[in-house]
Amino acid sequence: MNPLPPAPVRDPAWSLSAAAIGLWLAQGVLGTVVYGLAVVLFIVVVPADAGWLVTVLRWAGPAFVVCYGVVAIGVRPRLRYRVHRWEVTAEAVYTLTGWLDRTWTLVPISRIQTVDVTRGVVQQSFGLASVAVLTASSQGTVRIPHLEVDVAHRVADDLARRAETVRDEAT
Amino acid sequence: VNPAPPPAGRRTSAWVLLLHTITFKQARGLVPVVLAVAAGRGLGDGPATVVALAVGITALSLLWAAISWWRFSYADGDTSVVVTRGLVSRSVRTVPIDRIRGVEVEAPALHRLFGLVRVRIDAAAGSVVGGDGELVVDGISRAEGDRLRGRLLARRVPVGPAAGPDDATPAAEPEEEFTRFDPRWLRYAPLVGGYLAVPLAAVGALFRVLDEVPDRWRPEFGEPDLPAGTVVVLFALAGVLLVVGSVVGCAAVNWGFRLVRRGGSLIAVRGLVTRRHTELEIDRIRGWSVSAGLGMRLAGAARVSALVTGLGDAARRGQLLPLGPRPAAWSLASRLVDDPGTLRGHPQAARRRSVVRACTLGVLVLLAGAVLTPLLGWWQLLAAGGVLTALGVPLGRARYAALGHAAGPRSFAVRSGWLVQEHTVLQRRAVVGWQVRQSVLQRRAGLVTVQACVGAGRGGYAAVDMAAAEAAAFARAASAPWASALAR
Repeated sequence: MNPLPPAPVRDPAWSLSAAAIGLWLAQGVLGTVVYGLAVVLFIVVVPADAGWLVTVLRWAGPAFVVCYGVVAIGVRPRLRYRVHRWEVTAEAVYTLTGWLDRTWTLVPISRIQTVDVTRGVVQQSFGLASVAVLTASSQGTVRIPHLEVDVAHRVADDLARRAETVRDEAT
Repeated sequence: VNPAPPPAGRRTSAWVLLLHTITFKQARGLVPVVLAVAAGRGLGDGPATVVALAVGITALSLLWAAISWWRFSYADGDTSVVVTRGLVSRSVRTVPIDRIRGVEVEAPALHRLFGLVRVRIDAAAGSVVGGDGELVVDGISRAEGDRLRGRLLARRVPVGPAAGPDDATPAAEPEEEFTRFDPRWLRYAPLVGGYLAVPLAAVGALFRVLDEVPDRWRPEFGEPDLPAGTVVVLFALAGVLLVVGSVVGCAAVNWGFRLVRRGGSLIAVRGLVTRRHTELEIDRIRGWSVSAGLGMRLAGAARVSALVTGLGDAARRGQLLPLGPRPAAWSLASRLVDDPGTLRGHPQAARRRSVVRACTLGVLVLLAGAVLTPLLGWWQLLAAGGVLTALGVPLGRARYAALGHAAGPRSFAVRSGWLVQEHTVLQRRAVVGWQVRQSVLQRRAGLVTVQACVGAGRGGYAAVDMAAAEAAAFARAASAPWASALAR
């Protein structure tokens, strides 16, 4: 296998809060448990001699849960943490998100319309919050997931204040 | 500064009562209920029942129309438009005049009989809580409609010396004609999916109505045995009807289409049955797209849409040329925003990727066929897979050929699409953000999809599968210095 070519554009400078790994781990565990319960339910409820499809599913179900668990708990949280980056420069907000497929989003501060801080239920138990920066375009939304709460609020306040002062037509 | 006194409410014309009663505008929703009740209860046959039903529905409709007319008023103040309505729950909607993006005056056929028009006021989406961003004032006189439009739009753009709103005569401003629909262009109509759908939709509606009619009122059709020749003739006839229907549909929608510039606005007028009058502010135009379906490209036809910030129902209202020859489309488009010039093609890797993607389905079917032919004898699957794979190659190449991007001094362009090819040109100032996307496979191939986020049209326009190394330079060249944050 050839080594992967370098990223097409510059990577933002800062990584997320390390607590994000814990949160993604928790999400992976939760997902695995839900799928596992569904498979157990299937094996208990559906009779084993109900045709070849059921026989296949009795083997495929647990195999899927094991694979999902390995990826969602063992691989994805760390990979996501390695990929996710963000940065606020003098002129713009810049993020990189994803784990296999990657998305770099850049929005100039002069075109920011609103800045939101949200805290989900799971996020709260990890002391995290997300920042969403909205523009006039439905496609041009920057989301910075899982920052420490005080960092998120500081970033949001700073962006909102600077957007006020440098806003041009914003569309 | 004292706040201005609340402006006096204006009412719509009382003729609108008659109009809404005739068209059952408000009572229309009741008809299925009544039909269902009638079918369920089994009302007696005979003319008396029918007459009673008709009178009942008409009376209900009149009552409904009267109530909504009585409780409806609108007022155009100095800074905002206020529309008040509703019987039990009074609703008052206030739209600041500087939020109004466009005003459309339309005159459906029945309205024209009474000399009335309907005015749609398009406010910025999201500015009105719980609203759909549109105010409708239905049933005012032509003159009042023109006055309202002139006033709402004049307020927003102070043009020339300050003149009182009353002595501003809209006709005094010089008009410049951009396009006029040529009846010969109707020959393109059968090639456009949208117009072909018109006769099909009519047939569909007919069948739905037949479905609603209770069984005992439906005439009995046997299952006729048709000789093969008749079937062929019937199909040919249906084809001819489809073509004629699409031409008629296109003519009805686009009859007398004219695009003119008056002051700072572009005004499009069109329609045979319903006359529509749409006004777009030139200052808000951020770009255009020239699009053409497969059939339209073969015939050398295209359509032009303007990409306007904060325009509701943009697909319809933004249309600058609904259908016309390609040269006319291009000359119109390049008058609005400069064309940045010849497109750069995308790298060879993009062609490989495009062909592989187009062949994937065929190869999967082929593999399934290869497994199942010896097992179950499904050789048809194998054959279908072969055909699909073979078709995938030209399809992938055609999709690749459509790709391109360019950046000019004031604008940039992206092009993509095979079934419908869309060539979009946007001003550099239109960009409110960049999104660079790369899948695992794109990363291996050294490709990247770069999307310009804009507050107009679809919200994002992408250069698909461009060379990864060019992404940062393109973004910088197609927008402002802030985009150099992408560069390494």
